[in-house]
Amino acid sequence: MSLNRRDFLKLTGLVASSAALASCSPSIFQRVAGASPLSAWTPLPGADFLALGRLTFGPRPEERAYFVQHGLQAWVEEQLAYEAIDDFFCDLRLKPFDTLRMRAHELADLSDKIFDDLDRQTVPNELRHATLLRQVYSRRQLFEVMTEFWSDHFNIATDKGNCFYLKTVDDREVIRKHALGSFRDLLWASAHSPAMLVYLDNQVNVKGAPNENYARELMELHSLGVHGGYSQQDVMELARALTGWTVKEHFWTGDFSFDDGQHDTGEKYVLGMRIPANGQAEAESVVEALAQHPSTAQFIAAKLARRFLADPSPAEIVRRAADAFTRTHGDIRAVLRVVLLDGLPLAQPRYKRPVHFVVSALRMLGADTDAGPAVQNYLMRMGQLAFNWPTPDGYPDRDAAWQGNLMPRWQFAFALVRGELENTNLDLPGLRDISGAHDLPGVISALASLLLGAPLPPTQRDEWIASVRAAGADEDETLAVLTGGILASPAFQWR
Amino acid sequence: MTITLSRHSFIQSSTLFAGAALAPMWPAWMPRLAFAPEKLTPRGDVLVVVFLRGAADMLNVVVPHGEDAYYTLRPTLGIPRPDDKNIKAEERALDLDGFFGFHPALRLLLPIWQEKQLAIIHACGAPDESRSHFKSMELMERGVDDEKGPASGWIGRHLATLNTGNRSPLRAVGMGTLPQRSLSGSVPVSALRSIADFHLGGDARAVAQMRSVLDTIYAADTLGQETLGIMDILQKLDPSTNPQPPKIQYPDSEFGLALKQTAMLIKAEVGLEVSAIDLGGWDTHFAQGGSTGLMSNLLADLAAGLAAFHADIAGHLDHITVVTMSEFGRRAAENGSLGTDHGHGSMMMVLGGHVQGGRVHGNWPGLREGQLIGPGDLAVTTDYRDVLGEICLKRLNNPALGEIFPGHQPVARGVVT
Repeated sequence: MSLNRRDFLKLTGLVASSAALASCSPSIFQRVAGASPLSAWTPLPGADFLALGRLTFGPRPEERAYFVQHGLQAWVEEQLAYEAIDDFFCDLRLKPFDTLRMRAHELADLSDKIFDDLDRQTVPNELRHATLLRQVYSRRQLFEVMTEFWSDHFNIATDKGNCFYLKTVDDREVIRKHALGSFRDLLWASAHSPAMLVYLDNQVNVKGAPNENYARELMELHSLGVHGGYSQQDVMELARALTGWTVKEHFWTGDFSFDDGQHDTGEKYVLGMRIPANGQAEAESVVEALAQHPSTAQFIAAKLARRFLADPSPAEIVRRAADAFTRTHGDIRAVLRVVLLDGLPLAQPRYKRPVHFVVSALRMLGADTDAGPAVQNYLMRMGQLAFNWPTPDGYPDRDAAWQGNLMPRWQFAFALVRGELENTNLDLPGLRDISGAHDLPGVISALASLLLGAPLPPTQRDEWIASVRAAGADEDETLAVLTGGILASPAFQWR
Repeated sequence: MTITLSRHSFIQSSTLFAGAALAPMWPAWMPRLAFAPEKLTPRGDVLVVVFLRGAADMLNVVVPHGEDAYYTLRPTLGIPRPDDKNIKAEERALDLDGFFGFHPALRLLLPIWQEKQLAIIHACGAPDESRSHFKSMELMERGVDDEKGPASGWIGRHLATLNTGNRSPLRAVGMGTLPQRSLSGSVPVSALRSIADFHLGGDARAVAQMRSVLDTIYAADTLGQETLGIMDILQKLDPSTNPQPPKIQYPDSEFGLALKQTAMLIKAEVGLEVSAIDLGGWDTHFAQGGSTGLMSNLLADLAAGLAAFHADIAGHLDHITVVTMSEFGRRAAENGSLGTDHGHGSMMMVLGGHVQGGRVHGNWPGLREGQLIGPGDLAVTTDYRDVLGEICLKRLNNPALGEIFPGHQPVARGVVT
């Protein structure tokens, strides 16, 4: 189900006109001097608020200000050159997570408790933890958004075999390494990724009786798409070419390995190409061909446009993005420039997936969080714990898939404002002070502007306040429960 | 009297509400008999749809032990014949009719089969031969032949075309964190993972404040209204105040919880018409095991869950139909990694009080060369929509099969009465 923009506004009762925004007291948005971690927020035209909701996991007040000052194009270019963005404070928070930097055999050793059962929790939990910290704190927001996108595209569930520790390597060496690089390199790295080979059973794909699992998903999900023009015969032939692609079990445990002895040396035909016997290079030549295939360009372009713009994705933008993909041999930045710079004006509201819902609440309100079990538990109940989607298609990107599970979102919203999340803190008095408003209605309006992009119409705002007052809330409770109410509201479920 | 909910369920609900610590009030969503709107259809069975995600290897679930080819194709994974004296008895297939047998992990389903409350339809499935999980699941949940069909789900269209006058927010639920695609449509459907967790936390004062803001904010939003309505109903069903009879043992799994909660909702008469449940993990390309192992554990969960559910709702079985399905079957021959690759023909089970049970329905196409299709897969001889269509028509009182399954004319196979 997709909403058009007018329905979206009707749904929320918001009037996101620039006139309404302009009527806000300028003092609300004045930056407060001093060492407060919070900063004031500026009014934002609806289109900018919507764009920022795609380029980030929910904009922090200072990001809003920066966006207004520099504009979409400069913002996108700066974010695409992510290596140049100083991320010191985020890196600092990641410091304790040693496993993020370890090689596969070190992670295997760490997990092997010798006298006890294998520890299958520590390593993947650190990865989940770090992932959420980065989503909340990294200033390289577009990079994090794309990291999540590719983590779905090349989905790996950590509870499959040794993926519990191999995914950490895949996350570092495949997804994050190439998230804004070349799709060809990304596909190539994923194909050689031990976590992927284990997840899709290629580590046991041997000559004589091949295992088709990875071969199929490599074409169906990772490159061509289910309508991309491959056949069951192609799946079987590619599976033969991939025989012997496996993972080391001794010495450098968990590294990629090509087992000559298990490789089917016969000739193969994949997608109309004759693949002469050539060991590991056979499947590599297919990976090259898949990365260059027009169906792949189309599939990736459409998927990106859907994630960033609208579902269904706008056909003309997809066509141009696919052209850019082909012209640049899969330069992800070039494709994103088309999707974002040309496409964002066409963007339609999209329902926030749970990670976006949670992270946007934390970021926009400037909450301090350890991204630990309290928050992770809510993500699990909302249905989007990282690296926990069992099937290789990744977490769904259809709005309708997520719309029927409001309860844990409401619970999270109120737990956050009521200070019930362990090691996650919200400075509501600080937000009230920084809003610059002199009374409760003013603060609520300012918070709505922060969280929903526009202040609430006064009649609606007063109705909300009255309803909470009627339930016996004092001034502080009213502020808390209404902030929770804004987070729980239909409008905040959309980005 | 214009019947809007059956006399039976009304009487049951009054006694049940009186007995338990549940509010004896007439819930607002229940149709008032005095003001019954026109053209209402009496409610049929509660439908429970169990989707085995990942393409379950049905040849090892209901084993064609009478077929020599089966053992040739599966030298290591094949489930031994029921009379194979070289194998321990608990590892052999459990004979059903001299030709088919249950996997030994389905032992708990045997009594239900013998009571003729469980039917099997073998070699059934969809026409789609993509062998893609995601395309097949999507088409099957939408109940369509190809992507051009309606985007809503077949259950969603069933709900939309059958006006039972039931406005319960629990008319249909998707057990888990995401509502199933099959449920999507014009009738709002919520996901329900845990009844025990479905409440706002805090003391009475805090709950009242949160509740009042939610009531205000969601006043005009159907999904939000539904969630609030469910919260109200479930509050009265808190399992800690409504304990299960101790003799019924659900497996300690998400699947067990989903069935247990479905039974709770049925027994509490809160308007449940459809419960959709997923059980995943069936994509067994590697080390699926035979009589024991990975898949055997999944089957044990399936059987223990269904058997507990069957016992739990024994008094309601006349008004319940459970169906299990999966997106397709797996290759007849095992692969080189002690698993099976994607195939075609699958199997469905139907359990209930009006099932032509104790029988394997459908034509068996055989496993010999020339009988298998494509890369060596079981053929489909019964369209899955024939089974679901017959259930809609006979058990759910819904004749709108043309809307539920557009482009397919279901043929009744005599699976239910």
